[in-house]
Amino acid sequence: MAGWLLALCLRSEPAVAESPSAGHRAPSYSRDVLPILAANCFACHGFDPHARQAGLRLDEPVAAAALLESGHAAIVPGNVAASGLVARIGSVDAGEVMPPPESGKRLSDSDKRLLADWIAAGAPYEPHWAFTAPIPAPPPEVAGIGHPIDRFLVAALADSGLEPAAPAPPETLLRRVSLDLTGLPPTAPELDGFLAAHGADPEKAWEETVDRLLASPHYGERQARLWLDQARYADSNGYSIDAPREIWRWRDWVVDAYNRDLPFDRFTIHQLAGDLLPNATDEERIATGFHRNTQINEEGGIDKEQFRIDAVFDRVATTGSVWLGLSIGCAQCHDHKFDPVSQVDYYRLFAFFNNQADAKLKVTDPRVDITRLTADRDAARAEVYAYVEARAESLTAWEAGLNDDAKKLLDAERSKALATPTADRSADQRRILFHAGLGANDQEFRRLNERYLDLQAKVSGGPTTLVLAELPTPRQTTRFIQGDFTRPAEDVAPGTPAILPALEVAGTPPNRLDLARWLVAAANPLTRRVLVNRAWQQFFGLGLVETDADFGLMGTPPSHPLLLDWLALEVERQGWSLKRLHRLIVTSRAYRQSSRVSPLQAEHDPRNRLFARQARLRLDAELVRDVALVASGLFSPGFGGPPVYPPIPAGATAVGQVKRDWPTSTGPNRHRRGLYTFLYRASPPPSLAVFDAPDGYQSCTRRGRSNTPLQALTLLNDLAFVECAEALAAVVASDGSAVAFRRCTGRNPDPEELAVLAPLDSRDAARVLLNLDETVTRE
Amino acid sequence: MPHHHPAPDGTLLDETRRHLFARCGVGVGAMALGALLAGEGRGAGEGGDGLSGLPGLPGLPHFIPKAKRVIHLFMAGGPSQLDLFDHKPELSRRDGQPIPASFTDGKRFAFMNESHRTDLLGSKRSFRQCGESGMWIGDLLPHLGRIADRLCFVRSCSTDLFNHAPAKLFMNTGTGRFGHPSVGSWVTYGLGSESTDLPGFVVLQSGPRGPRGGAVLWGSGMLPSAYQGVPLRNRGEPILNLSSPEGVTSARQRGIVDAVGRLNRQRLAVTGDGEIATRIAAYEMAFRMQSSAPDLVDLRSESADTLALYGIADPLESTFARNCLLARRLVERGVRYVQLWHTNWDHHGGPSENLETHLPEVCGQVDRASAGLVLDLARRGLLDDTIVVWGGEFGRTPMGEKRESTGRNHHIDAFTMWFAGGGFKPGCVHGTTDDFGFSAVDGGVHVRDIHATLLHLLGIDHQRLAVRFQGLDERLTGVKPARVIGEILA
Repeated sequence: MAGWLLALCLRSEPAVAESPSAGHRAPSYSRDVLPILAANCFACHGFDPHARQAGLRLDEPVAAAALLESGHAAIVPGNVAASGLVARIGSVDAGEVMPPPESGKRLSDSDKRLLADWIAAGAPYEPHWAFTAPIPAPPPEVAGIGHPIDRFLVAALADSGLEPAAPAPPETLLRRVSLDLTGLPPTAPELDGFLAAHGADPEKAWEETVDRLLASPHYGERQARLWLDQARYADSNGYSIDAPREIWRWRDWVVDAYNRDLPFDRFTIHQLAGDLLPNATDEERIATGFHRNTQINEEGGIDKEQFRIDAVFDRVATTGSVWLGLSIGCAQCHDHKFDPVSQVDYYRLFAFFNNQADAKLKVTDPRVDITRLTADRDAARAEVYAYVEARAESLTAWEAGLNDDAKKLLDAERSKALATPTADRSADQRRILFHAGLGANDQEFRRLNERYLDLQAKVSGGPTTLVLAELPTPRQTTRFIQGDFTRPAEDVAPGTPAILPALEVAGTPPNRLDLARWLVAAANPLTRRVLVNRAWQQFFGLGLVETDADFGLMGTPPSHPLLLDWLALEVERQGWSLKRLHRLIVTSRAYRQSSRVSPLQAEHDPRNRLFARQARLRLDAELVRDVALVASGLFSPGFGGPPVYPPIPAGATAVGQVKRDWPTSTGPNRHRRGLYTFLYRASPPPSLAVFDAPDGYQSCTRRGRSNTPLQALTLLNDLAFVECAEALAAVVASDGSAVAFRRCTGRNPDPEELAVLAPLDSRDAARVLLNLDETVTRE
Repeated sequence: MPHHHPAPDGTLLDETRRHLFARCGVGVGAMALGALLAGEGRGAGEGGDGLSGLPGLPGLPHFIPKAKRVIHLFMAGGPSQLDLFDHKPELSRRDGQPIPASFTDGKRFAFMNESHRTDLLGSKRSFRQCGESGMWIGDLLPHLGRIADRLCFVRSCSTDLFNHAPAKLFMNTGTGRFGHPSVGSWVTYGLGSESTDLPGFVVLQSGPRGPRGGAVLWGSGMLPSAYQGVPLRNRGEPILNLSSPEGVTSARQRGIVDAVGRLNRQRLAVTGDGEIATRIAAYEMAFRMQSSAPDLVDLRSESADTLALYGIADPLESTFARNCLLARRLVERGVRYVQLWHTNWDHHGGPSENLETHLPEVCGQVDRASAGLVLDLARRGLLDDTIVVWGGEFGRTPMGEKRESTGRNHHIDAFTMWFAGGGFKPGCVHGTTDDFGFSAVDGGVHVRDIHATLLHLLGIDHQRLAVRFQGLDERLTGVKPARVIGEILA
């Protein structure tokens, strides 16, 4: 690859909104040419030698200019007429023209002109921006603007004819930042306090509010959910059986890590390799649950090796998209078609994850009072023993009636109990014999017995969590032909993709810990960019790089490359602190703009690639629930612990192969945050799934935001929301609909809005308010 | 490649929204909004009688379609083609003999455990030739035998994957991995739906358990979730949360939706955010679904003759037969894609899944109803432009399994599916397998070919129905060769 690092050009172009080839600048390879070649040519003339046609490769300059068998060269720098590429893309002959018609791809006239212009200018290649180190450019000087983010954005607006939007009203701002940082809407006292402070000193009020929210323990809950998406978290094993699993302790670790602002470099190391740290603590091992969120297939008769390897494939693909922003997984079966990642590169990464035992760690749950649990168990045991004791005669009678056939049906433990002389039997032997006979149809016995067994399991079991553990002897990794585990090819040693800076370790072969350190090393050009881009996406609804999980050649180039690089370097300067990064973003003026779409913006920047306004974003699924809970006053602010079972429609868990129980929570657990709802992969909670919550089958780095009738039915009729409406109706009845309106939207209604609510009774008004677009949207 | 949850490139989402606006008539401007509120929105080119259903893509169909809609009868578990459709006298003659090694060398099968065996298992069923085509059909499917000349049989289907959940995904999404759109989602995404008060892609289930794989089987992958299959349920509400809260009358619910709409419109004027217009339309559709969906499942208006045609004894009982009738009612109401799942066809020879008792049982559940559906569609003039697909995720081996009773293992190299209506050639028998029914010897058809053919009949070029996702053009038929099976088209 080093061979093509010849024409290094510093990128100094302003951000480009919609038309990358607009204007009359000379075409730039990265900005203008690469997207055309990548979309239309590289599938057959790119990095993958197996897919390559006619021996032509267009992704690097020497090969592109080489003489082909035809005697022509595709690209003759500076000579359009001699360049075969130009002739072929301009041909009208269906057998000649490129791309071939059957590919379904077609170049526009402006694409063709651009390629010709680029060749005329000498066909200068540049290395792909994402594989080179971030450029340390200071924020441009802009009169009257201090915040570095705003300086980058406003400078880039210069050519666009657009101005930054006005600041959003303070009510909107408080609700926006509260939802973005903690996932909860502001309470009435918080609103009152902020409005008063904002009136006195807007800047000071804002900074204090941001700091208060960053310090809230709910901050970790909100941020963790986005990490859980990427980790494909769920509370069940997936595939067809989809049995429940225990890994919520890892979820709580993530919440806590955000709350204590564990620097992201260390966070990464703990997530991927906490178990390999010297003298690893339980907490560090719990963190490795990240890669235990893969599915486990419990179907009968399967080849276990196949599914172990599937989990490793998932770990490689997830690591690639979460940290590197690359679709590494494409190279599982073949060299990457578009990015310089070979199949061997893939299996070198695979080797890091091919060496683990799937372990469980017994953890203590601070919420469980073990002394009380033991006492409860003892009491339940005494009760069931006494019940059996009182029926000793029936037991004797049952025993006398047993014939040999019936005795054969008893299990080993019961046979042994039966063989023990009656006088010598323990109370527990009497219990299990009773269970085998008379107890089977005795409802009261069953109740007592099950209660005892349940408590016994809790006392002796205790919670566990899934963790990674390294095997003492490494497995030999091979490349798999076509990604098929039954077709091993040559041996492969652990290592990182050749296009990226080398992983250097002394002596022993590198392990997961080395890989984790390499991901967050200063030399890695990708991880920091991917990290800050996802943060940007979180706070603006759209990343600076729109394809947040594809920083490769097929991804969209950054809208503001220098801002992206500045942020990437800044996060490192700030010790990889995510709280500081989030603070930096939300204190910008850009973040605080109005989200109103002006006609000018609708015309010139409909997709808001220039960030001259904020975005109105429908809340994530869990937040739709959280907002309804807080607005109605039902919200139960408990932290952590095993997942809970809020009401869901009857039969919702019966869609998978195995119908799952849903022991609907009562008491405070009924009204916990959406984060804590039990997540079955095969039958996800409908009210979360309908609002695009990921299902945990694969890493999700960015959620969709659909807008469907089924969402309307959920908000209108789902029992959980009806409960919220009942509670909010009481607020309407006692305090009036204006107060309830403010609870839902964070602002006071205007007279026209009140007029719509006025004729409604309190229950109807409450239902209307919980169904407003504004209630489920962050403006 | 890695598979991310539905978060397509922004351009895709935007395009979809643009179409939603443009084609639902719910544009952002005051004029379009006025039209919407006056019920004058124009729907998908279908006329101006109120709001349309889900919009499709502009430029689709690519050419004049033969079919407008699909009913896919998914026989979950893998029906034994050798006991139903692929008559192999030679296999019966050599019952109990080992299969020649040349067939099995280098092959892998599911369940490579003690139950796996290599002895051939002849079918115990009797076969007869049916109709003018002379198609051989086993005695367990007498009703289908009677309408053989209306059906198009393909005996040479093959697939890539031999475990249930991945194979079902493969049959439905063209890949065994999660995160890709199902056929129903692709079709609905491309063509939209004519139904104004029901989802465009509806899923029905019957049998002792749900299909292995669950909701991802009808997921929309990286397409917007508006295009995912909506499972209609057999018991209770046909769609979740379809009943208004207890004590809320329809008029009262209407009042809620009206008030929500009025407030949302005020917010739309303030913010200029077109998403609010979409939400207003979504509430209208939701309200219409509340009244139309119960009517859909109320079978009292069906004649005794029709119920008998499907073999429905009790219209309230949840059965495959009832679902077949519901499928007809759904397509009559403009639903684009209906998928029925029926379990269980997984006849390995275990205590509750053998060829002697359980195969006849499940055949009894589907035979009359499948045939009845085809006949009912035909007599109502719907069969001409409705495709019916019948088949499982794979077939079963010519070799038996060593279990409690007789059964067969999963087999991917040759199995039978049939198609009817919508441009498929009636009375067609396509593809031949070898003497044991192990592999196709002519007319081999891959799942990708089936996908390409279904799309073709719907007026869609499978190469051109693509979305850009994570830098790749995602297609139902993927990147490997797929061809429209011209030989089986009318």
